[in-house]
Amino acid sequence: MPTTEYLKIPRDRVGVLIGKNGEVKQHIEKLTQTYLDIDSEAGTVSINPLEEMEDPLSPWKTRSIVKAIGRGFNPEVALRLIDDDVALDVIKLTEYVGKSKKAIARQKGRIIGRDGITRQIIHEMTGVDMSVYGKTVSLIGELEKLMVAKEAVEMILNGARHKSVYGFLEKKKHDLKLKELQETFHIK
Amino acid sequence: MAEKEKEKWGIANVYSSFNNTIITVTDITGAETISQWSGGKVVRADRQESSPFAAMEAASRAADDVKEKGIVGLHIKVRAPGGNGPRTPGPGAQATIRALARAGIRIGKIEDVTPIPHDGTGRPGGKRGRRV
Repeated sequence: MPTTEYLKIPRDRVGVLIGKNGEVKQHIEKLTQTYLDIDSEAGTVSINPLEEMEDPLSPWKTRSIVKAIGRGFNPEVALRLIDDDVALDVIKLTEYVGKSKKAIARQKGRIIGRDGITRQIIHEMTGVDMSVYGKTVSLIGELEKLMVAKEAVEMILNGARHKSVYGFLEKKKHDLKLKELQETFHIK
Repeated sequence: MAEKEKEKWGIANVYSSFNNTIITVTDITGAETISQWSGGKVVRADRQESSPFAAMEAASRAADDVKEKGIVGLHIKVRAPGGNGPRTPGPGAQATIRALARAGIRIGKIEDVTPIPHDGTGRPGGKRGRRV
């Protein structure tokens, strides 16, 4: 049942989606068995599944991959979304800090941290990739860990000190590990 | 969708949160429910209700019901809790669609119908946040 999906991405991300000589585009098309039609003037992308595609989820996944690239991820990270457990979450900064440009710029800085240290810590603790682009913060990672990372970002946006966020991440990391251990012993 | 005059299609409404997965299969109008399955109907433990395994199991049983009624394909409407809650579908959503396809049901359109507020009620937690 081929149905076309439409999506709009920022114009300065179109080049990344296509890649040098269309490499990135071709790679995505090959992996997901779809055909991407990109309008580089308007930034609209239409995703057409090929007739012979096997995976019914592929248009769905392609959509989130294209969206992730549009939200500032580099294609390599965005292709993590091919995996079933990996999801994308986009947080709009305006929902937390209002429309003020100064406030948005300040919060973006807080999320990234000096020399990207906060972003790096979130990545190391949870394995979630983060991209701060425009008025959004986007996260790519496994569902459970994604929720932890999202909560951490929300804490920063609500004014928590970095120190307490790191403490929170440390605690959650420990909890996740414990849960994993328990599950492996209970089920098997 | 003019070519399938004889083939019957339905809609699978998949509600996937972090606590459960609920699959409701209706006819194409959405008014008549054909089959209803959830994670809680197939597993014992509460915490497994949202697991991909429970979703797969529920989906394959829903597929059996659907095939009995002579329906060949399903359009999918995926929904996360939305509103004030998370807007990304839980772990059961993908597993459900996979399992339906594996059970030999044709998959039509996949749509995300998560309710997004155009500014609704406030988030829970109050002014001073959640105090544990």
